[in-house]
Amino acid sequence: MSNKDEILEKKVNDSKKVINEAFDRFPLENLAITWTGGKDSTLTLWIIRQVCQERGIKVPKCMTIDEGDPFPEIEKFLKEWSTKWNIDLEICRNEDVLKAANYKLGATVKVKDLNERNQAEIKRIGYEEDEFPFEAESYVGNHLMKTVVLNQFIERNNIKAIFQGLRWDEQPARRKDEYFNFREGGELTPAHTRICPILHFTERDVWDTIFKYNIPFCELYKQGYRSLGAKTTSKKLSDIPAWEQDLEHTGERDGRRQDKEKAMEKLRKLGYM
Amino acid sequence: MPDIISPGTKRGIPGNIEMPLAIERLPNGNTLIADAGDEAGFGSEIIEIDMVGNIVWSYNEGLRFAHSGRRLKNGNTLITDTTNNRLLEVTPDKRIVLNSDEWGNGTGKLSDGSHLHYPNEAFELEDGTFLVTDRNNDRCIQVDREGNVLWSFDKEVQHPHNANPLQNGNILISDSDGNRILEINRNKEIVWSYGDGNIETLWWPRSAIRLENGNTMITDSKNHRIIEVSPEGEIVWKFQTEHIDKFYITHATKDDTFLIACTDGHHQVIEVDRAGNIVWLFRNYRRPFPIYSRLTNGFFKEIDEDGLPKHWILATRLSEGGGKLIWDKENKPRPCPGLEFDRSGALFLQQAIKVKAGEVYKVAAEIKTIDVKGSAAVHIDFFDAYGGSLYHVITEMPSGTLFTGTNDWTLDSFEAKVPDRSTYAELRLFLNDKGKVFIRNLMFHKV
Repeated sequence: MSNKDEILEKKVNDSKKVINEAFDRFPLENLAITWTGGKDSTLTLWIIRQVCQERGIKVPKCMTIDEGDPFPEIEKFLKEWSTKWNIDLEICRNEDVLKAANYKLGATVKVKDLNERNQAEIKRIGYEEDEFPFEAESYVGNHLMKTVVLNQFIERNNIKAIFQGLRWDEQPARRKDEYFNFREGGELTPAHTRICPILHFTERDVWDTIFKYNIPFCELYKQGYRSLGAKTTSKKLSDIPAWEQDLEHTGERDGRRQDKEKAMEKLRKLGYM
Repeated sequence: MPDIISPGTKRGIPGNIEMPLAIERLPNGNTLIADAGDEAGFGSEIIEIDMVGNIVWSYNEGLRFAHSGRRLKNGNTLITDTTNNRLLEVTPDKRIVLNSDEWGNGTGKLSDGSHLHYPNEAFELEDGTFLVTDRNNDRCIQVDREGNVLWSFDKEVQHPHNANPLQNGNILISDSDGNRILEINRNKEIVWSYGDGNIETLWWPRSAIRLENGNTMITDSKNHRIIEVSPEGEIVWKFQTEHIDKFYITHATKDDTFLIACTDGHHQVIEVDRAGNIVWLFRNYRRPFPIYSRLTNGFFKEIDEDGLPKHWILATRLSEGGGKLIWDKENKPRPCPGLEFDRSGALFLQQAIKVKAGEVYKVAAEIKTIDVKGSAAVHIDFFDAYGGSLYHVITEMPSGTLFTGTNDWTLDSFEAKVPDRSTYAELRLFLNDKGKVFIRNLMFHKV
């Protein structure tokens, strides 16, 4: 077995340890998995499924968020593999916001047309305008369509801990993330723990593991997408498959790392503070 | 109505020590302190206090970010008025008897045609001339009272601090950007040095003094420690505090104790003995700015009488002058604020908000930049109950995207966990170096 194989196996085993610890700490019915259909959450789900088979238990409930701007390819992928893997998948959306936007991207949503809960959320995060555009670039739209939907899913299903496919190398701010991350509850936010079993995988590791174990992935990556989110905000950086791109020297989300490091160095040198 | 946890004190109250940068125990037992002032550029002053903390003398007229005040043999006080790029000598009754602005027929120019640029230290030499550390000209010079440059050391050092004369006639100088301490002789030869350029050894050393025992006491500012180094380069003693203190200068007293300026770490001057005990302390700090219970005016709808967004502070602490708050008047539905800067350093638009350790916050804002040479970003600095930042350097603070160059409006958001011991946060837009940055729709909420 090659050195690379051994390293990948160890990485998968380290993830399994985290997942086993999660199953030891939380009852199955209080656990859930976020599954976007992207490569990272699919890998996470695949490893969790392995652990479930080893333990002889069923896979926790999965949830995916429909932001109102999905790729048909992702929808198809989720449908196909939730059936093949026998996954209990709940597709969650903020119907109230979608209705107020008339189900149209770019539409203007009036805050007063929303229900009490959504209005309270808008107030809580400090949004001060009377309307907002229904699009992924809008923070308030994003908050209502993603964060609120996740929080409501957690509340509705009495979830205590939820798996996510985040990785340390995605962005510098993630570097200090821990495998178990407790979120204190507060106004409109349920207390819960976020579990990230594949934090230690690099983007390259993810692809290597996918090919080593023949794990399914959405066809969009073959078209050149590196990272998948809402349809209008996900951009192809290249037409060659994601795994054939220069992953080590270009960013998953932007391509200007060099500039950033120079700017950081300059900042570090500042005298006071 | 904004919910204010702590209103902040009036700006520029005499004796409110925000950022002590130079200290000296006088022969009469009093202590002379140069206070650079608060982060908005107010409150710079030189004060003399007695052993029980009474302010017995002070001078503040026109000072901007003054770095040093030294008592002369004639009883006057020599001041480096740093951001004003000048040297002042003032009498006990506060008359200015020397102002370097008057040199060169009122141009402020020295005999070599140059102008002081961000001077941070000046000592009187035996012959009555001055040894001046002229930071942004990367040199230390000897000048007479008429501005004639008699000697200059302008090689080897980058952004030097605190050049001071030794008894043997040599000069000890902190090469801050070079992370070294140099002892140079009158022939400009390096006869002793400490530091190999690595930040583990010395990181932005800010002062060094030669002790009677022949060792050198170095203020290793960004490593947050004071170290005593033997002539052979061994560390034989050190002092550190538990929190992240910003030590900027050390002064040896006749009693074998050390006065240390703890700048904006905890805004105080401490006296430490050889056992590491704090045997005397002067702290007279009241925060000049309010702390809010939550982000207030994050959409910049309200404007105050100075034309600044209400409840926001334009902080110029890291700037070397210049820079201003600007408005994008074309922005819809209303103008939004921004920062414009034209030199090295940084400017901040900031607000302090109460937080609790362990909480996680999310910050979101839309940012636009124009020709930013360094970088611009939203970041958070967390502070302990004494007003000391919990971070060593700006790059450790939780931050959003660092924007460089020109970018159209971009939504940026990030999360930050409140570290142990923090009691409030400062949420800031910053701009490093030349360019413009604008901000709108800023939100800060618990997740």
